[in-house]
Amino acid sequence: MGALRLPSLTSVFSASSARSSLLLRRSNHLHVRKLTSTTKVFANSSPVTEVAPPPESNQKQSSIQEQGITPRSQDFNAWYLDVISMAELADYGPVRGTMVIRPYGYAIWEAIQDYLNLKFKETGHSNMYFPQFIPYSFIEKEASHVEGFSPELALVTVGGGKELEEKLVVRPTSETIVNHMFTQWIHSYRDLPLMINQWANVTRWEMRTKPFIRTLEFLWQEGHTAHATPEEAEKEAMQMINVYTKFSYEEAAIPVIPGRKSRVETFAGADRTYTIEAMMGDRKALQAGTSHNLGQNFSRAFNTQFADENGQRQHVWQTSWAISTRFVGGIIMTHGDDTGLMLPPRLASVQVVIVPIWKKANEKNEVLGAALSIKDVLHSAGIKVKLDDSDQRTPGWKFNFWEMKGVPIRIEIGPRDVSSNSVVISRRDIPGKPGKVFGISMEPSVLVPYVKEKLDEIQLSLLEKATSFRNSNIVDVNSYDELKEAILQGKWARGPWVGSDEDELKVKEETGATLRCFPFDQPQGGPKKCLMTDGPADEVAIFAKSY
Amino acid sequence: MAGGNKPAKADKSNAAAKSSKGRKKETGLGLTNTKDGNFGEWYPEVLTNGEMIEYYDISGCYILRPWTMGIWELMQDFFDPEIKNMKIKPCYFPLFVSNNVLQKEKDHIEGFAPEVAWVTKSGDSDLENPIAIRPTSETVMYPYFSKWIRGHRDLPLKLNQWCNVVRWEFSNPTPFIRSREFLWQEGHTAHATQEEADTEVLEILELYRRLYEEYLAVPVVKGKKSELEKFAGGLYTTSVEAFIPNTGRGVQGATSHCLGQNFAKMFDITFEDENREKAMVWQNSWAYSTRTIGVMVMVHGDDKGLVLPPKVSSVQVIVIHVPYKDADVKEIISACSATVKTLCDLGIRAEADLRENYSPGWKYSHWEMKGVPLRIEIGPKDLANNQVRTVRRDNGEKVDIPMTDLGEKVKEMLDDIQQSMFNVAKQKRDACVQVTKTWDEFVDALSKKKLILAPWCDEEEVEKEVKAKTKGETGAAKTLCSPFDQPDLPEGTLCFASGKPAKKWTYWGRSY
Repeated sequence: MGALRLPSLTSVFSASSARSSLLLRRSNHLHVRKLTSTTKVFANSSPVTEVAPPPESNQKQSSIQEQGITPRSQDFNAWYLDVISMAELADYGPVRGTMVIRPYGYAIWEAIQDYLNLKFKETGHSNMYFPQFIPYSFIEKEASHVEGFSPELALVTVGGGKELEEKLVVRPTSETIVNHMFTQWIHSYRDLPLMINQWANVTRWEMRTKPFIRTLEFLWQEGHTAHATPEEAEKEAMQMINVYTKFSYEEAAIPVIPGRKSRVETFAGADRTYTIEAMMGDRKALQAGTSHNLGQNFSRAFNTQFADENGQRQHVWQTSWAISTRFVGGIIMTHGDDTGLMLPPRLASVQVVIVPIWKKANEKNEVLGAALSIKDVLHSAGIKVKLDDSDQRTPGWKFNFWEMKGVPIRIEIGPRDVSSNSVVISRRDIPGKPGKVFGISMEPSVLVPYVKEKLDEIQLSLLEKATSFRNSNIVDVNSYDELKEAILQGKWARGPWVGSDEDELKVKEETGATLRCFPFDQPQGGPKKCLMTDGPADEVAIFAKSY
Repeated sequence: MAGGNKPAKADKSNAAAKSSKGRKKETGLGLTNTKDGNFGEWYPEVLTNGEMIEYYDISGCYILRPWTMGIWELMQDFFDPEIKNMKIKPCYFPLFVSNNVLQKEKDHIEGFAPEVAWVTKSGDSDLENPIAIRPTSETVMYPYFSKWIRGHRDLPLKLNQWCNVVRWEFSNPTPFIRSREFLWQEGHTAHATQEEADTEVLEILELYRRLYEEYLAVPVVKGKKSELEKFAGGLYTTSVEAFIPNTGRGVQGATSHCLGQNFAKMFDITFEDENREKAMVWQNSWAYSTRTIGVMVMVHGDDKGLVLPPKVSSVQVIVIHVPYKDADVKEIISACSATVKTLCDLGIRAEADLRENYSPGWKYSHWEMKGVPLRIEIGPKDLANNQVRTVRRDNGEKVDIPMTDLGEKVKEMLDDIQQSMFNVAKQKRDACVQVTKTWDEFVDALSKKKLILAPWCDEEEVEKEVKAKTKGETGAAKTLCSPFDQPDLPEGTLCFASGKPAKKWTYWGRSY
């Protein structure tokens, strides 16, 4: 699985000074990983080489320039960790399995928040904040829920120097506390539907962690709703998985497959779980968001009732749904290439980087002046633009750096461009000459629409590329042998399925693949023969190895 | 109401006697406590009845309901772009801190250790080393500052995060003001020079002042904290201080600290300066929390409930239809909807309450309880006259305005409400300020719940003495801040407490 076991905090901070301990951590970090070219960067004596080598140190500079990050094609996992480190997306936290989300990574999360927060409000949800601590007794109320979560719970037993009377759970998810409150707020049908959302951190004490994908603490939004009828709850659960799907396609350029989870993979305490499954660059599946129809499981456990229009007491029907910082990992692993990160323009905090080029001192002023005015023009047109005007780096270094950071468009401007009143524009998604266009006029009336059009094109082209990659790696199978073969090739297998829970577990044990979902999009033409049992199957399911 | 404030029983019966007229018979809404009669019970009641918070099984933890989050988000909408303009970048550091890191800065940990909550188990197994939950993030962040900062070009490093923090205190939890978990922003920056750090401290403090005065309509004093009251481990602390006239308590509204080089030394945060000399960075940290919301409620709320300043109210105008018998209800309702649309199109946050199972009277009380700044009533007569009736929450003023210039008039009124709420609060606060020059005057002013401005010798021992001598059931008096805006201090002025020559004017009082 290649998940990285992060060093324990004792090993991280046992050394006397912070710096030496950080170095120690780095070397630990290397031991658990296969030796790759990245190790050269990490092993370099000065830790600064991770991202921004000081200009005075040419040798260190070359570590990014020449060695670069581990090529994706060579070692996907090492590549992923390199990208996160060098593009300054995140760093390892001081406690095993935690991470520090750095500004460049956090900006992606903010872009996700900006979009979703608006959609949630448009669909009638209000934001709230529930306490992070949940009495242990709450968690125990819903049987399958506690069973699903108890091994991963972080428990606070000491506070303010005293042993606590009841141990407190650091929230792994908030269904229990939400229901506790819903019970007090909901009295009659007029109080329904109750639709809330919160942006919060949650904790799951996982053993195998990987930045963004699986960390002890992560950030997410969790929506919780209560309804008067099962139909309404079902409609809500579907509505929210559709919001996630639309977001994935239109903003993140990730062609997720929405579908329903099998019983085995259904959320602990839910009747039905809907999911969006994304194919990463290594063809593993990533569950990128989920929406649960909770039925009356929690309302029965917490006695959340309402009086209907006839005055009859009934339990409410509920949903919950979430997207987390895991999605950021999904973006990295969907679009990134050997050069590094590749951000979809709609989620990029820098959409355009301007690199001015000058050789002689007398050229500097006019080039910088022109670059600055282009920056202003683009900025006032609502484009997120950065001018890299530092004179510490060569233009070539800057090209590589911003490519590695995944900025969709680069504008180059040199003395000759200034005199011809034009610029050179390069696309991140098309490497080298083919992605480069010369002689684009600096005139705002030309430049602004051109850049906007290119951003849209890139957005679309990322989605198209990811879609054709996905499609070419899904195999339709009709027998277990065919499924095994597809999984062996690292692909996704799609085939008719009515197998039992045991059959599903057998596939997992024998192939390492899990049932990702029964996709909403089903082939036409009536029931087919189940690939495992030969029984008549109404639906196809997708099996794949996953994160 | 599990947990939370449980004032003495004697207080309760007293309050009930004074306040029974507060609850409205016909609607069942209203408050059983009055702000002047029994502030300690009025405050939690106004928060829960105003649907801002809900008490919870864990003492000191509160559920922040949409009405609260709306205020919090509007404050974020102001503050976050301001700091982004200052090139301060967003980030997120882990909630969990290892003990070793927490212990790194001695003074700092002495300040926070008694309040830390510890994770000791995962699932059924005990952790080898208990892990702390952040009470603040200096010690979480600074090892990374050490790692990320190498040369002067890495400076300034300016980060901010929005997150929750946990301080497991035992003294009297009070919603928003002192809770065991709260939300805040914490900014952490590193600079090459002290001058740069100093400048930023004041820039941030000014944003905090604007947050209070321009958004929450709460007057504050900008000033510097005493040595005793400054942030543990820092160089100096500046703050904005608010005052709650009803309780006579000061409240630290937000703080902007210059940490100096102390943390840089402990965490080895150094850089190579332009002359290639190794130098230590200068650091700041600054924060405001959901406490801001508590201060706002305490200052503006009244016996009818919350009173929200328009700029932070997620509903600025509530439109209510008043159907009389035989009136054309449909027409009234469509006029209400049109009114909401007109206002929303102008960027005013307006909503209509068209529920039919509640009477207009009930709705008036309900939205007054929630503190919506302006109510618009539309009935048959208004419709006939092509006008609407407006009722201000802050002063109850009723004015009929013609539909034709609805948007403009409402905008003006909201601006006026915002300004006048601030003016009224400032007037009340100013009326509480008392200058005292002797110990007797000081004690007298303290007993009268004044915000005391006194000449002081600025000695730590003297502050400790004052604290010891005023220690009582309601807490000791301490310095709030030395205002930047200093009145004249004629030579020969003596310290009110020690009789030594005074060095500055300082605000004193009991505080939250």
